[in-house]
Amino acid sequence: MDASKTSRIKRQMINWILRVILIIGTIIFLYPFVWNIISSFKTNKEYLTDPYALPSGFHIENYINAIEDANMASYFLNSIYVVVLSTLLLLIFVIPISYVLSRYRFFGSKVITTIYMACIFLQATYIMIPLFLEIQAIKALNNLSVICLVYAVMQFPFAIFTLQGFMSSLSREYEEAARIDGATNWGILRRIVIPLCKPGIATITMLTAMGFWNEYPLALVLLTDERKKTIPIGLANLFEVQRFATNWGALFAALVIVLIPTMIIYLIGQKYLLQGIQAGGLKG
Amino acid sequence: MNKNPKLFIAVCTLPAVILTIIFMIIPMFNAIYLSFTDSTALSVGTNSKFVFLDNYKYMFRDKYFLQALANTLKLLLVVPPITIFFSLLSASILTQSRLREKAFYRTVYFFPSIISLTLVGIIWSFVFNPTKGILNHLLELVGLENLKHAWLGESKTALACIGVALVWQAAGYYMVMHIAGIDGISRDVYEAAEIDGATAAQKLMRITMPMLKNTIGITYVLSLSGTINLSFTLSNVMTAGGPNGASSVLLQYMYQQGMNNANFGYAMAIAMFTLFMAVIISAISRKLTMGNE
Repeated sequence: MDASKTSRIKRQMINWILRVILIIGTIIFLYPFVWNIISSFKTNKEYLTDPYALPSGFHIENYINAIEDANMASYFLNSIYVVVLSTLLLLIFVIPISYVLSRYRFFGSKVITTIYMACIFLQATYIMIPLFLEIQAIKALNNLSVICLVYAVMQFPFAIFTLQGFMSSLSREYEEAARIDGATNWGILRRIVIPLCKPGIATITMLTAMGFWNEYPLALVLLTDERKKTIPIGLANLFEVQRFATNWGALFAALVIVLIPTMIIYLIGQKYLLQGIQAGGLKG
Repeated sequence: MNKNPKLFIAVCTLPAVILTIIFMIIPMFNAIYLSFTDSTALSVGTNSKFVFLDNYKYMFRDKYFLQALANTLKLLLVVPPITIFFSLLSASILTQSRLREKAFYRTVYFFPSIISLTLVGIIWSFVFNPTKGILNHLLELVGLENLKHAWLGESKTALACIGVALVWQAAGYYMVMHIAGIDGISRDVYEAAEIDGATAAQKLMRITMPMLKNTIGITYVLSLSGTINLSFTLSNVMTAGGPNGASSVLLQYMYQQGMNNANFGYAMAIAMFTLFMAVIISAISRKLTMGNE
């Protein structure tokens, strides 16, 4: 009896030690965000006198400044447009080719698969200058829709690789049955394959949409017009300016404005995001 | 058996393939081609001269390039091992312990890796801010004022700050991959070890590490290529490579040469060198982790 009691106490102690370690980790990961959120409610003077005191009240004016003076509203709308259109384009192009690559052997199918596999490691940063020259040559700099197309293409290798793997593991029985019933290839893709692939599609949507929302290097070279900039570039600019100006509150508010939608989507879509990474998802 | 599969295949594949050629393959070949020319903003296209390996030779006499190369190698040497160490440690604590709030820690630890790198850069700039920064404030609180630095403004510490931000934002990501790997190891193995009286450290060293070798191999390679790519954004946002190149990294120097100085040819030589280096380093570390099986 005594032995089991001491072992239970020992177990409890270990649990508490681990818990303390994990809580320290939590503080390291969360404190910068918390500090940022608190600072966003302070007046400039409060921030400059003591950045660690609590704010005297909720100073919403920082948020108004961020939206009105710092262009956050425009960056925000541009970013939403880019995420939605890029994700749609990605899915429209990627679903059919992934399906065909997983079901048919045809002239060039091996080559296409190999090239996409190799391109997974080719990050946009390496080719940002030739892309800039190319987009400039077709006079499409600052054209958000063209940027969306480029964004989508940059994610083709990863999305095709993931989706093709997912589709290969699906049973073909339903497709065969539908074919006997006289369904066309398109009908099978639309009514059978896509519904069956929903988890896989949700995963790549989640991972790539996050990537589009955060994309920095390409937006840096392809969007030079202030009115077309997306959030990552807008924020970096704002930060650059604030380093020499004094309106810190607006910057903190802008950071929170960006943080909140990311947080909400993360909490909702966490399951698919984690699934994607566990399946070997790549970082954008 | 199938109705016109050829047409179906063509309609499904061609649009994606053509777009890939336009926005990926052609820029890639263009990058290689440019790296052999003396292209600048004024002479791109017909006016530029073919100089073959001159750009590549010049790199090794360019003191700022060598500095960026040294900085990148330092990050590659230090950041992936530390990132993998912390992610492995937290993954094994989270899988082995029976804490009820496990899912909460996973959610929190993973969060930094999904937010924009620009944001990570800005937030860490405030941590390292010389007058208002969290780090200096903390040092003051515990009475270590003499350790205070202008972290991002001093050439000795600027690169290390970028390294810290890199580890912070990536550790949770690899933790999730390691958790998936550990979940794949049979429970029986751990239970058998527990009956034999193995300590937690022994379980980590003797069971988790060896059985996770393949996963760690993959996460290590991902971390290497991630360090090369992501250091670009952090260096650009946090220090712009400064002070005086002390925290510049290869892709950030490439960007500076290409977009600020408009030396497209030279910039592309740096980009191709970096890509080549990334592939070689990944291949070597993959060989090392797979080799002794």
